[in-house]
Amino acid sequence: MADTTTRPRLATEALPVRIVLISVTLLFLALFLGLPLASVFAEAFASGRGPYFEALKDPNTVSAIKLTLLTAAVSVPLNVLFGLAAAWSIAKFDFWGKNLLLTLIDLPFAVSPVIAGMIFVLLLGKYSSLGGWLDAHQIKIIFAVPGIILATTFVTFPFVARELLPVMQAQGVEEEQAALVLGATGWQSFWRVTLPNIKWGLIYGVILCNARAMGEFGAVSVVSGKILGLTNTLPLQVEAFNDDYNFVGAFAAASLLAMLGLITLVIKSFVEWRTGRNE
Amino acid sequence: MSIEIRGVSRNFGEFAALKDVSLLVETGELVALLGPSGSGKTTLLRIIAGLEYPTAGTILFHGEDAIRRDARSRQVGFVFQHYALFRHMTVFENIAFGLRVRPRALRPTKADIEARVMELLKLVQLEGLAQRFPSQLSGGQRQRVALARALAVEPKVLLLDEPFGALDARVRQELRSWLRRLHDELHITSVFVTHDQEEALEVADRVVVMNKGQIEQVGSPEDVYENPANPFVMNFLGSVNLFHARVHDGEAHIGPSTTPVTTAQDAATIGYVRPHELDILRQRNGGPTVEAVIKHIHAIGPTVRVELARRDNGELMEAELTRERFTELALKNGEQVHVKARKLQVFTEDYSI
Repeated sequence: MADTTTRPRLATEALPVRIVLISVTLLFLALFLGLPLASVFAEAFASGRGPYFEALKDPNTVSAIKLTLLTAAVSVPLNVLFGLAAAWSIAKFDFWGKNLLLTLIDLPFAVSPVIAGMIFVLLLGKYSSLGGWLDAHQIKIIFAVPGIILATTFVTFPFVARELLPVMQAQGVEEEQAALVLGATGWQSFWRVTLPNIKWGLIYGVILCNARAMGEFGAVSVVSGKILGLTNTLPLQVEAFNDDYNFVGAFAAASLLAMLGLITLVIKSFVEWRTGRNE
Repeated sequence: MSIEIRGVSRNFGEFAALKDVSLLVETGELVALLGPSGSGKTTLLRIIAGLEYPTAGTILFHGEDAIRRDARSRQVGFVFQHYALFRHMTVFENIAFGLRVRPRALRPTKADIEARVMELLKLVQLEGLAQRFPSQLSGGQRQRVALARALAVEPKVLLLDEPFGALDARVRQELRSWLRRLHDELHITSVFVTHDQEEALEVADRVVVMNKGQIEQVGSPEDVYENPANPFVMNFLGSVNLFHARVHDGEAHIGPSTTPVTTAQDAATIGYVRPHELDILRQRNGGPTVEAVIKHIHAIGPTVRVELARRDNGELMEAELTRERFTELALKNGEQVHVKARKLQVFTEDYSI
């Protein structure tokens, strides 16, 4: 009787081929990911621990951290709302313009972040009609914090929606219909039935959205005006330090972003493990 | 509460799923909507529930127009084919759901809800499973939870969409009789949809046979089985043998023999006989018979199915005998016998199956 625990021969390569493929992958990862990441921390601590923490306490760095946190704190919830609404309407309803909405959701991915920033400048900057009106009323959007938040929200819009959509589509509408027949209002059905079902998809989307919101450079760089201490997010501050040849400062700030990235990965793996378990 | 379906039509673009359907379901009745896929039975059920709206016609609950009310306010219980249990809630929470979402004023106390859920769990024989999740239950158990959930809100009408379709044969049988007993106990007006004629005939008080968006016949199970209104109904409710016959003076001439027939119309027509209404005889005993050769014997199960071919034109027939009769006759493949039809149905309209 054939040993049923060995995989069918088609699924495995010969041992040497496997070794080569895995080695190439690991080498690639080490070179393009591992090395840069390690060097960020190495360079940040190059002059020792003292200068590292001094650099982090730099008022410009501190305000950059605050701005980054503020931006994320506003854009992520906004995109959760938009994403939930968009995914819910597309998954549960049939309406004219559905495909158009789907395309629009992916728009921020298709557009280069720098262009996205430019769009806002052109639309709301001093020399446009709308921008002229804003300027006349002393409302500052471009080259100020609101502009940064706007650009970040635009760029990170697809993350939540795209995570929720397949989950909602796979789950169908029957549970919501059952809730309806049992007497639940639309809100009760959403809160008690839909939301718990999409819990993990939502968490995953929020994590991705947050990581991107905090790390966004291109769009924010165009829109912010880069006023030190006022409109610099952490990624922009890294650039500012770099321009000033303040490498310890730059790498210290960069190490914060790198740590953010690592934490995001850890949470992501945890979520994947949990969803894997639930299935 | 009675349900009146009045002139209901439903179109999906060009396709007419329901064509001017009218039906009255009496209070406390258990009615089956029986038909093949595409007959419109599920669409009709969903229209009664308020999950879909008709293009024309209306639904009345106890004489009152219900069409304007949405699914929430119709007070119906709906059991879905694939249960639609809330996957992240326990069995207890699933059943309690309808009571928990009631508006504050009408909501029962926590203790009341618990009492009701426990009562229902006992009714559906699932005590002890209150803390399980749907994914931990078998198909039959899930279906019973779905039923308990629908019953929790004390609906006036119970609607079931192919409730046993997704279960295996044995469980289906058990749940079928269980549903019948439950209905006898609770007397809620119920409508269930099925494509399984055995199920409809076994469980329902009345059977509504549907085809292509229209009602073919409404009647008690005996009624629709013994006196089908047309060939579609006859063919759908059980296997049937077709004979090309000529009716003349109240008799159908099948080949060399004649059989008295209930309808009187001179024409070429088709005669229908159920397998168990064909008798096999060794000798012609004076009545009208047809000669045939045995082609195949299927002797597994409570009855014996015998495939025969007519000697004169080679038409195939299927007869069903009891085991005793079969042993009595000691039939073998290839033997020549006489076949007699105890009851031949002839339909007046020109119809093709």
